Amino acid sequence: MPDQNPSQPGRRDFLRSAALMAGAATLPARAAAEPAADAPVAPVGYLSFSPDEAALVEAMVDVMCPADELTPRGVDCGLAHFIDRQLAGAYGKGERLYLRGPFRPGRPEDGYQLPLTPEQFFKAGAQAADAACLRRHQRRFAELTPEEGDPMLQAVADGREDAAGFPLAEWFNELVYPLFVQACFADPIYGGNRDKVFWKMLGYPGLPAVNGLNMVKYRGKPFPGARQPKSIEDFS
Amino acid sequence: MKVLPEKSVVIVGGGLAAGLVARQLAQQGVETLVLERGGDYRHGPEGRIPTQRDELRWDVRHGLMQDAAGETYTQRRARTELARPMRRLNAFLPGTGVGGAGNHWGGQTFRWNDYNLVLRSRYEQRYGRGAIPADMPLQDWGVTYDELEPYHDLFEKLFGIAGKAGNLRGRLQPGGNPFEAPRQNEYPQRPLEITEAGLIFQQTVEREFGYHPYPSPAANSPDAYVNPDGMTLGACQYCGHCERFICEANAKGTPDVLLYPWLERQPRFTLRRHCHVLGLEHDRASGRVRGVRYLDLLSGQEYLQPGGAVVLAAFTMTNTKLLLTGGIGRPYDPATGAGVVGRNFCYQANSGIALFFPGRWLNPFLAAGCTGTLIDEFNDDNFDHSGLGFLGGGYIGVNVASGRPISVRRTPPGTPRWGTRWKQANADWYAHTCAIGAQGSCYPHRENYLDLDPDYTDAFGQPLVRMTFDFRENERRVSAYCTEQSRRIAVAMGATPVGPVVSRAAPFDTRFYQGSHVTGGTIMGADPAASVVSPRLQHWDAENLFVVGASVFPHNSGHNPTGPVGALALRLGDDLARYVARPGRLS
Ligand SMILES: Cc1cc2nc3c(=O)[nH]c(=O)nc-3n(C[C@H](O)[C@H](O)[C@H](O)COP(=O)(O)OP(=O)(O)OC[C@H]3O[C@@H](n4cnc5c(N)ncnc54)[C@H](O)[C@@H]3O)c2cc1C
Repeated sequence: MPDQNPSQPGRRDFLRSAALMAGAATLPARAAAEPAADAPVAPVGYLSFSPDEAALVEAMVDVMCPADELTPRGVDCGLAHFIDRQLAGAYGKGERLYLRGPFRPGRPEDGYQLPLTPEQFFKAGAQAADAACLRRHQRRFAELTPEEGDPMLQAVADGREDAAGFPLAEWFNELVYPLFVQACFADPIYGGNRDKVFWKMLGYPGLPAVNGLNMVKYRGKPFPGARQPKSIEDFS
Repeated sequence: MKVLPEKSVVIVGGGLAAGLVARQLAQQGVETLVLERGGDYRHGPEGRIPTQRDELRWDVRHGLMQDAAGETYTQRRARTELARPMRRLNAFLPGTGVGGAGNHWGGQTFRWNDYNLVLRSRYEQRYGRGAIPADMPLQDWGVTYDELEPYHDLFEKLFGIAGKAGNLRGRLQPGGNPFEAPRQNEYPQRPLEITEAGLIFQQTVEREFGYHPYPSPAANSPDAYVNPDGMTLGACQYCGHCERFICEANAKGTPDVLLYPWLERQPRFTLRRHCHVLGLEHDRASGRVRGVRYLDLLSGQEYLQPGGAVVLAAFTMTNTKLLLTGGIGRPYDPATGAGVVGRNFCYQANSGIALFFPGRWLNPFLAAGCTGTLIDEFNDDNFDHSGLGFLGGGYIGVNVASGRPISVRRTPPGTPRWGTRWKQANADWYAHTCAIGAQGSCYPHRENYLDLDPDYTDAFGQPLVRMTFDFRENERRVSAYCTEQSRRIAVAMGATPVGPVVSRAAPFDTRFYQGSHVTGGTIMGADPAASVVSPRLQHWDAENLFVVGASVFPHNSGHNPTGPVGALALRLGDDLARYVARPGRLS
């Protein structure tokens, strides 16, 4: 559900206020934010993220997927959870990635050429992103308002953000952004797209088993199944 | 290394081509062994509901394809450059496991226009001797369409291909592709149902331009089907999880459904799974290969498997690699143009334009791998190239193969990449878009070739294949021309807006899927100085060695490759039966 209840601030809000109170630039935001008994916690823990990385990703997915009429905010759609699980799992550890040398810097069209697993690359980029944010805003990304966060991400995506030699645009466009999209639209079994909310938004029916007749019956017409998508869990 | 008892025919690779060769041999009682590096796809999560319908696992993460961590390819655009490995395989997706890429293919099964087999002669006749640029080593294949026609027919029957004939014994048929090579028989099955997007395309090109739209020939079975071997297909459920997936309904014509289960019942056929072939044992003095070396991945034991005849059917890249590592045939040298192994490496010059139809329900998720409506007016040499400055062309059409939401969402130009407006655009347009695409031909270029990379190795310590490839001027012009035709049709279809019009350009970009149709490297031909194998697919320098697959294509056309691959493989099976009975050079 959208996190609109002012008496229950999302964890990000909690972090932000904690950081503001303590002096943002020096505070490792999450350290001061060990949830008190009544503080809202993420529904599940993280496997790969450090507290700083969690704060960064939660802030990013909330900027990229704000709560609105279409979906709850990104964290509540499970987007951060999805990204964490992917990085902690086989994908993050370099499955299907050729990691033998020699390593040579490449051009964009050569594709990924670094000797890092996606998880390692993610972590290096998370630091670089926060460092860039500190330089520009004197605050970490998690501490920016959405109005500040959105143009910051835009600048990163466009390669306008200096990151002291780190390929921040590539990090965002070829690692983070695809993970974000996958988090939205993959089967909910991976932790994102909670309640099939993005499938409902699109009108994607999910995993129908038989469409032989529908193919003709609903050619050029709204497809009723699109309103009630079915996921792997529904068939299990 | 253990030496095993000889088999009459040893086939390297257990994919589509291998299964067809083996089928012909089994019919004639010839002892055959297939060595396949992968395992089975018949009972795993990839072939069962609900895990089959997992876009992330099978499509986005390439769960069924060759694992690049163990073996990939390096690439560069010119031989003056240092190559980089494609650390992820994205541009094309080689298969692995019994059935190969033929299991998770889409199933578009074309017969190419007949003149493709005599393409150099065709162009010279039509446009004069100077029409073919010096750096474009087009050549005739050394086989005619008439020789292949019965094998096309058999392949279509074995795989239950659905379609509409365009040219039945020389008589044009309404509703079919009039440019199609003449066929003796109708397709064995009726065409798939047309999509809404296909209807719009069909009506537009007929009415506005007088073109001849036709349903894509499909290895997706519209009805239950029994093939000549008694193997059955179920009816396609238009589930939108076809290309890149295993069909849990057994409704896709694939080797793992139609060929290997039948083969494994034949007394003189053996399939060894999890056997990675490492090399060929060549005896230069006798002009023969003794057999193949392979590693049994389940025991770690290396074997030498002697063969009376050895067939390479391990897809373009492995076929070429094994000839290069085995030192069989002279490697191609682009500096001099001499040598043959690795030459004429071609790809596909594809492009697509997103189309938006406000208010029209295109429902992209109601689709099969081949629910496409196409025209051939701008394919190959079906139109006059005088003064155009290029040779070749492509089919143009609307292929609606899936609405899988990670990959198949289109938003109008100017849509932001995230945020509420991004979500809104996805919600607004998802059911109302399609793409018009051109599948452009790719002709050989003197500087496009395969060899062995000097620096990078695979998991077995063997050199990676290096591709030196770019879209050269001819292919860029082909794509620009075909993409412009697509745009013209898109506007006439009434799409608003029409997405960005971008044709295939240089540099070749490894990050994006551009079709898995890499061809050449071990090409066929009548001249031993310009080809690796004879018109009978027999190696010029090793009499008992044969090569099959798109690696033998001297060029790639504006159609998918598997129709001709199938026909050539079936013919090779018959030729091999002759060879085993009376070894020698086949004519
Ligand atoms: C996603 C996708 C969609 C496609 N859609 C279409 C389509 O619609 N129409 C069309 O015409 N074509 C299509 N294709 C291409 C089609 O799949 C191939 O043309 C066809 O499978 C080629 O047959 P093959 O036998 O040459 O190769 P494969 O079927 O791939 O078989 C090669 C086999 O060799 C094995 N092998 C490789 N190296 C070794 C080794 N060293 N030792 C042992 N075994 C080895 C592999 O594991 C594999 O099983 C598609 C391909 C893909 C990936």
